[in-house]
Amino acid sequence: MLHRRLGTAAAVETLSLAALLTNLATAHLPWIASALGPVHGFCYLVVIALAWQPPAPSRVRALSLVPAVGGLLVLRAQRRRAAAVPA
Amino acid sequence: MAAFLLSVHVVAAVIFVGSVTVAVSLFPRYARLALDETTAATAVPGVQLLHRVTRAYAALALAVPVFGVAVAAQLDVLGDAWVQISMALTLLAGVLLAGVVLPGQRRLLDTVTAAPEGSADDGATVAAPARIAEAAALVRRLAMVSGVFNLVWVTVVVLMIVRPGSTTGV
Repeated sequence: MLHRRLGTAAAVETLSLAALLTNLATAHLPWIASALGPVHGFCYLVVIALAWQPPAPSRVRALSLVPAVGGLLVLRAQRRRAAAVPA
Repeated sequence: MAAFLLSVHVVAAVIFVGSVTVAVSLFPRYARLALDETTAATAVPGVQLLHRVTRAYAALALAVPVFGVAVAAQLDVLGDAWVQISMALTLLAGVLLAGVVLPGQRRLLDTVTAAPEGSADDGATVAAPARIAEAAALVRRLAMVSGVFNLVWVTVVVLMIVRPGSTTGV
């Protein structure tokens, strides 16, 4: 459950920033910036909150602070840990 | 656009912060029942649910300050004292929630879910009363902090309505 939520938040974090930067480089519509800016900020914070909830090494937690792709980095680190544990 | 952002801000405050304040207030009451052997069986699932609600909705409640800052920036009121005091109080509520309430709930949850195994084991029954007394003290502290937490939100809501120093009026 937590993993799926983190996946959603991580995807929206990265996609919303991509959309913001695309808007900045092309049409630069102010309403897109005002609407997606807070969405991106919210997802950035949710990724950090979710990454700090389960017991995790501080290195994985610190990854969530990376702007733009922090959530995706945490997911990758979690997958690697999950793959390493049974072996 | 300010109307849209303000709508998201208020809806998130009502639904997410509202749920968190209810769950944080109810948790100590059900934790007390869960620590009592006669009522533990019915109260433990409730305690687990309240902790899950607090944790999940606390993350969603992050939308409130984010969209709040966006609205304030659009309305050009970020420098106003009522906005800055509200932001400081919101930060205080966040620190209380993440630093005291959630870890305290987690520890109580561990205590009440581990209790039946402890009482079945002869060696653990000696330590159980001390652990229960410690847990009861933690419940009292959580009850106090939940009161402070709710008062902080009441203050922020009043600041949002009265907006002292604002020229737009109520």
